Amino acid sequence: MPEKPQEAEVPEVMLATETAAPKRGAEEDKAGLLAVHVIRAVGVKRIFYLGGEPVNALRGVDLSVKRGEYVSIMGPSGSGKTTLFNMIGGLDKPDQGHVYIDEVDVAALDTFELAWLRCHKIGYIFQTFNLIPVASAIENVMFPMLFAGTTQAEAQQKAAELLKRVGLGARIFHKPVALSGGQQQRVAVARALANDPAIVLADEPTGNLDLHTGEEIIRMLEGLKEDFHVTVMSATHDHKMLAASDRVVYLSDGAISHIKRREELDIKFGTLQGDDKGVG
Amino acid sequence: MSSSADSGSDRAESLHGRIGHQVQLPFVNAVRIAWRNIRVRLARSLLVTSGIILALAFLTYILCSDSLARNIAEQGQTRYVEQLLKQGILADLGDADARVQTWWLVGLALLVSFVGILNAMLLSVTERFKEIGTMKCLGALDGLIVQLFLLESTFQGVVGTAIGITIGVLLTLVEGMGLYGATMWTLVPVGNMAALVGICLLAGTGLTIVGALYPAWRAAKMQPVDAMRAEI
Ligand SMILES: Nc1ncnc2c1ncn2[C@@H]1O[C@H](COP(=O)(O)OP(=O)(O)O)[C@@H](O)[C@H]1O
Ligand SMILES: [Mg+2]
Repeated sequence: MPEKPQEAEVPEVMLATETAAPKRGAEEDKAGLLAVHVIRAVGVKRIFYLGGEPVNALRGVDLSVKRGEYVSIMGPSGSGKTTLFNMIGGLDKPDQGHVYIDEVDVAALDTFELAWLRCHKIGYIFQTFNLIPVASAIENVMFPMLFAGTTQAEAQQKAAELLKRVGLGARIFHKPVALSGGQQQRVAVARALANDPAIVLADEPTGNLDLHTGEEIIRMLEGLKEDFHVTVMSATHDHKMLAASDRVVYLSDGAISHIKRREELDIKFGTLQGDDKGVG
Repeated sequence: MSSSADSGSDRAESLHGRIGHQVQLPFVNAVRIAWRNIRVRLARSLLVTSGIILALAFLTYILCSDSLARNIAEQGQTRYVEQLLKQGILADLGDADARVQTWWLVGLALLVSFVGILNAMLLSVTERFKEIGTMKCLGALDGLIVQLFLLESTFQGVVGTAIGITIGVLLTLVEGMGLYGATMWTLVPVGNMAALVGICLLAGTGLTIVGALYPAWRAAKMQPVDAMRAEI
């Protein structure tokens, strides 16, 4: 891990050291069970047909993501970010090519394995939050655990811990409508972590948030990488949301145009902080 | 279904346990989630249920008022029969036409019920496409989605039917009071009407479940991405 500005930069919610998830990763790696690349996309193509006209949403994407990496997918609207995320998240299948999660071809999974993958292996965060509107914050976080067969009491306890972790300890019984956009996205972050996923997929998580709140969410995702040993993939079309990335993959018209490493990025949280004192 | 599940777990075994097999939740968990859904959406559910209520009130009223009129006529209360005849409610008891007319009305009421219920269930499923898509992203199995909607609709069906039947019976009695006065109470065919109420309860609940089957199945089969993208 590159050096981290521990003291000053981390918002207080991140300092609550109570981690709901066990520290995994290290031991499992030693057992040699887990592959280095938790995500591997090989020649992924996806064509949609709009009124008979083919739309090449993805034109052959190759991408490998290491365990514990924070990768941002950067590209303008319509460049194929969501389509790529749907492939990786097991929500859609490539027309050509393969997506491997932990070296398992997602296209080969049956319904039950696919549901298990979505439930245990991957945490999803959406631009529009996608919380269940009639359920309270804590119930939203409990859903994935209940689907996994966790008991009500256990799920309740863990959901409360996770919500505390994302700084919503005082609002666990609020309905989504009673929460701000940033708070709703925090609930979504907690929900994504419910079953200790290996991967968190965040599709434009800051798209509906102002700059300040968006940055908080990005920092929170960065914190997850450290504390929960998750691999984070985050899509954005906003240059300002790249600061946490280990790698930035630039997507253009359904293909990767170039890739930048962290040290090649010229953007840091610090510079942003100076810029938006007045915001939020 | 079971064979595909078996081969799935075999494959999961061969993949060093990297990918597991989603468990099917105990039925009671589905009941709990569905019950919570209903409770939280009470106002909304009542709106959906109003279609069922109206339909069943109509059906119950048709059956029960017919039963009441017949009973009064059969008890030999001639003055009422005259009154009935005058009003054209019961042209002639032995007349096949009258029965045919009643059955025609019952058939109509059933049709109205079914269309109303189907419409209500389609509405309640389509307005929740995004929620269904999200649930599937969180690991809900298709079977659970179907169970949830069937349970919700069963609750709605029972409650809506019960309310509808109550309204139908009350209508019958109030109308009976108006037509025949207080002596009507001695002539209510209690056993017969109870049987009719039972039939209506079964019909209403059954129709609701049948009406919910197709929308629930369709919702469950949808790909999560399609469900979440669906605009309403
Ligand atoms: N279901 C679909 N049907 C038709 N075209 C689609 C569908 N989904 C995405 N597309 C098209 O694929 C391209 C990539 O879309 P998307 O992955 O959503 O881009 P992004 O998330 O980067 O904005 C766009 O041109 C979009 O219109
Ligand atoms: Mg998108």
